[in-house]
Amino acid sequence: MADTTVLTVSDLTVTYRGRGRVVTAVSDVSLTIDAGRCLGLVGESGSGKSTIGAAVQGIIPADGVAEATGSIVIAGRELAPITDPAWTQVRGSDVTSVFQDPMRSLDPTMTIGRMLNRYTGSAEASVAALERVQIRRAGEVLKKYPHQLSGGMRQRVMIALALAPGPRLLIADEPTTALDVSVQAEVLGVLRESIEDAGCAVLFVTHDLGVARHMCDDIAVMKDGVVVEAGPAEDVIGRPSDPYTQRLMASRITLETDRSRPVGAPERAVVASMEDVLRGLDRPALDVTGAWSDGALTWEAFTGPTAAVGAASGHPEVRLVEHVTRASLAVNEVNKTYSTRARGRRVDNHVLKDVSFEIGYREAVALVGESGSGKSTLLRIAGGIETADTGTVDAQGVAGEGTQVVFQDAGASLTPWRTVEELLRERIEHTITGRGLSRAQMRAMALSTLELVGLDASVLAARPTQLSGGQQQRVAIARAVVVPPSVLLCDEPTSALDVSVACSVLNLINLLRHSLGISIMFVTHDLAAARLIADRVLVMTGGEIVETVPAERLAQDITTDYGRRLVDAVLA
Amino acid sequence: MLFSRRGTLERVEAAQASRRDSAWSALGTGEKASLIAMAAIVLLALIGPTLMPYSPIIPSGPQLAPPLSSGHVLGTDVLGMDMATRLVAGMQRSLLAAVVVTAVSAALGTLIGVLAGFRGGWLDSALMRFTDLFLAFPAMIIAMAVAAAIGQSLGSAMIGIIVVWWPLYARLVRGEVRRVVALPHVQAARVSGVRGWRLLWRHVVPAVMPTVVVTASLDIGAVVMTLAALSFIGLGTPAPAPELGRMASDGMKYFLNAWWIAVLPSVTIGLLAFVFNYAGDALRVVLRRTGV
Repeated sequence: MADTTVLTVSDLTVTYRGRGRVVTAVSDVSLTIDAGRCLGLVGESGSGKSTIGAAVQGIIPADGVAEATGSIVIAGRELAPITDPAWTQVRGSDVTSVFQDPMRSLDPTMTIGRMLNRYTGSAEASVAALERVQIRRAGEVLKKYPHQLSGGMRQRVMIALALAPGPRLLIADEPTTALDVSVQAEVLGVLRESIEDAGCAVLFVTHDLGVARHMCDDIAVMKDGVVVEAGPAEDVIGRPSDPYTQRLMASRITLETDRSRPVGAPERAVVASMEDVLRGLDRPALDVTGAWSDGALTWEAFTGPTAAVGAASGHPEVRLVEHVTRASLAVNEVNKTYSTRARGRRVDNHVLKDVSFEIGYREAVALVGESGSGKSTLLRIAGGIETADTGTVDAQGVAGEGTQVVFQDAGASLTPWRTVEELLRERIEHTITGRGLSRAQMRAMALSTLELVGLDASVLAARPTQLSGGQQQRVAIARAVVVPPSVLLCDEPTSALDVSVACSVLNLINLLRHSLGISIMFVTHDLAAARLIADRVLVMTGGEIVETVPAERLAQDITTDYGRRLVDAVLA
Repeated sequence: MLFSRRGTLERVEAAQASRRDSAWSALGTGEKASLIAMAAIVLLALIGPTLMPYSPIIPSGPQLAPPLSSGHVLGTDVLGMDMATRLVAGMQRSLLAAVVVTAVSAALGTLIGVLAGFRGGWLDSALMRFTDLFLAFPAMIIAMAVAAAIGQSLGSAMIGIIVVWWPLYARLVRGEVRRVVALPHVQAARVSGVRGWRLLWRHVVPAVMPTVVVTASLDIGAVVMTLAALSFIGLGTPAPAPELGRMASDGMKYFLNAWWIAVLPSVTIGLLAFVFNYAGDALRVVLRRTGV
């Protein structure tokens, strides 16, 4: 049984047609997976990896929007993609799947036991199935509804459900992406062990090369609907031959990445920003691309003075300063409690408990913590979006104006019907620096900031919905720094982006930090990204800052339980 | 994947053009037909009365001529007035009144809803309890009471309907405003320093307007019906002005020997309501495509 081929995909091409346009999502892809093997399908959004995952389960609806050619053979049975009526027999028995979001794929009206018993036949067998995915006290879990379980538990239940019918092929589509980072490693471990026990073939769809290396025997890298490189995991990861795979690999950041240099391969937009900064500082022009690829480029080269603003410094005009001693952001014993009413009774949720910290001039601090730890509330209070119950926030600093926030979902943070120019001008109008400037002056300011973040003048007239995710994030950053703030608060600015785009956004934030002398507070649960940006990492649990670790020695020095789990998650 | 890399102006323009195309092509045949029918009705109501050979309020032929009589395609009524002329004139009256009623209700309701939703606190509670007061009573009864109290005329019927109609918009808009205010783009605008009216006007209201416009267009049909109902029970325009509800009501007396006097205005009312409802749905599809 061990080396029989379970899945053979030959010459699969899938096209979507809609509104007069035809998009080829997958073209001429061929794959095979043997029993007991795991194939990782890796690519960025729009690469067609999820379309393949859906095609081999037959869940692309046959409504005429999608068309497919080629053949799919599952456990010796040949099926025409999309249109074959036999898919309903194969799906759920020979092929099962684990989706990204377990909350949306589990039936909220059924207990776990009722869902699982349909496949296992008896409560005892269901208990055994849950124990196989390392759920303790399985008997109790069977009586619960999905909403009563944590995200990690739900995904384990999902894995148990997917393996219960004894499938020949399991499709795992980004199974840990929606989970808190600290439980991702556990769930991946559970998934790997249980598929080894089950002995089925696995198609593992992911955007994360690190996860793919951890999980898979073989890897196929996809770009624009084509497999650009495929082979044993160690070869693809260790000695990538295709330039795209090389770029993806270079974009990966770990806890060993050099913090003093830009990460990833030189990227045009970031290089343009760097040259722009050098011009602004009257430094000699240098071959940025060359220096970057030789590893000779450090952030030191871009360090510039900060704009100190009247209100904060006591002087009426804007001046450039080299150094400031006053802290840029001082948070003092901040408390925040949310009250809700449940069954007529008041329930207090003490989200922040006497939180105090400072961010110094030119310092970058990362705030990590699991969901519900209060880190987002702290950011919102520091950014002036919410007010603290008690305690003070002093964001006057001396350099820059107040605080600005870069939100997680850049697309949603830009008002869709306003043009980029209007959004930037609006920010300028509401600052001390921008008061009394003419429209033309503001436009010039907006333009130079857009250039700084690697966008050109054509973007000024565009509305946010016409821009890509990476461009939107750049516009959001441009709005935040068009008048340099004292502190830039970043709320997971990269978690919604593809790896290569995330990489260039991180580079951009680092560049702005050094050239404009802005302090940064970076909220994230990606420890590798935190370490790259920040000098210090604050770990938050239960509304308190429990640990402060210097970024350089993060992996070694972090001691709290949650922190260790985050470290494990990055290493996975 | 049109904008996978750095967007240029050309690409942006191409996208705008394709969005406009797609809004129309996303509609089903029925929805397209309803929009065309709506345009036709509006056109007919606007210029129809001037094209008609007769006056809607002066007898112009034999009494009770049946439809398809010579010179009177849809027949004449008890007094010998041309039915076709009266129907077109009635349509104009009904539509105009319905548009005014809907627009005034929507504007009033939007204003109150925006105030309540944006300011919150005691003002919200006060305004919403005031709104609830109107919603607590059966709409038709209040409209009748108001219209009867002011006196029998088209104007008083319209006021009666506005009085019961605006609270629906106030509720709707308040909910929308509260939803939109919590969206990231409004918070981001706040962080940029935008406050007060400017925040409301630039970042909140545009997100609410499509909902209001769609609801209003769906409402026109219902207002036509309500106006007709009020004049049917004698609270609208006094005779002999051509008013569809009134015409139907007057025609009831002659129903058995001259069916067309009651049936034709009723069918016209039904047609107006149906077309505007359907077109409102189509409009929603279009606005969803192009808007927020």
